[in-house]
Amino acid sequence: MRNYLLLLAAALAFAGCRPEPEAVELVDQMVVSTNYDNTADFSAYSTYAIPTDTIGFISETSNDTIIVASKSSFPRPVLQRINSELQTRGFGRVSKNQNPDLGVNVLVVNDFNVFQDVVYPNYYGGYYGGYYGYNSWYSYPYVQTYAYNTGVLIIEIVDLKNLTPDNKVKVLWTAYMGDVYSTIELERQALEAIQQAFTQSPYLTR
Amino acid sequence: MKAILSILVFFACATAYAQPKYVYVGLDYNAPMSNKEWIGKGSARGIRAGYRTFITDRISAGIDIGSTAIYEYKPTRTIEYSSGAITTDYFNYIYSYSAVISGQYNFLVGDGDIVFPYAGLGLGANYNEYTQYYNIYTNADNAFGFLVRPEAGILVRFGTRRSVGAMAAIHYDYSTNKNAEFGYKNFTTAGFSIGLMFMDL
Repeated sequence: MRNYLLLLAAALAFAGCRPEPEAVELVDQMVVSTNYDNTADFSAYSTYAIPTDTIGFISETSNDTIIVASKSSFPRPVLQRINSELQTRGFGRVSKNQNPDLGVNVLVVNDFNVFQDVVYPNYYGGYYGGYYGYNSWYSYPYVQTYAYNTGVLIIEIVDLKNLTPDNKVKVLWTAYMGDVYSTIELERQALEAIQQAFTQSPYLTR
Repeated sequence: MKAILSILVFFACATAYAQPKYVYVGLDYNAPMSNKEWIGKGSARGIRAGYRTFITDRISAGIDIGSTAIYEYKPTRTIEYSSGAITTDYFNYIYSYSAVISGQYNFLVGDGDIVFPYAGLGLGANYNEYTQYYNIYTNADNAFGFLVRPEAGILVRFGTRRSVGAMAAIHYDYSTNKNAEFGYKNFTTAGFSIGLMFMDL
């Protein structure tokens, strides 16, 4: 009977092992998703405006609304890469008071999640190490709080040339790149993701 | 339900007599035979365990449970759709759990107390968790299916006076487990198990 129980315990222990991808393999490159207005004719636009050193920041846990180059090394290379990609595709950069055809918004959206779990110490494979009052090495369960941050880098290209009658702008192209909070090398991966966003959008050219 | 109860009662009655019985536990290798585009690689990340009892000299029956994970890495690619595209690499996983009631016909070899080759059939259920990991994101779904498992194997005791032995088996699992999102009309694998068995004569 003891052999039977040992076998059963071994089987249950092994069954509890659930293989998953290594975290390093998962986050070594960002997911890049792009969407566009397929009625838009991008060759009809020639100029754009983009900030130099500031990107937007939307978070439920922070009052900051922007990320600036004076406080972070992230905005400047990101904006320079977007600028470079647009110029390669034949668009010319102008300042925002020179009536650009297109506006480029760059922002990070941060989602902060918290969840809780009940932890049972000495709990192995479905069996407690002891019972209340019977065993000195039994520990009472406790609540553990986990938190994780997720974030997406977003690029939006909006149509400033054809404002709607009520002065609204139409979004012509968006790129979502994530996750920016779980990276091995944020700047390199972000720049690669931006390049990929433009590569997979061949229609985005003059 | 009545059929299942009848089978359980039958097993309970059968084991009430002093018939030989054994438990086994083994590592299980499975190679996918359906929807190989999603996962085509075999995996040794499986385990099987079971309890069987001899009803007659030749016929045994019992319960087998198993767990396996098959998976495959899909390198980075760009998938285009009407209004855009997405680029990422994927890790496709299926976590599969099974439980069957099985019957075996045991072939007589020698005195019939060392080597027990058998052919059998298991009928039961299979539960799959289909999971696709990419970056920190996950697509997942799960489904149950009816499982049929023809099997052939062999048990070898390490001596006439020893209850411990080895087991090996090949099996083919066909399950009606389907999942439209990941392209499964059924879930079929072929595999083999090797492990230890403890026989109680």
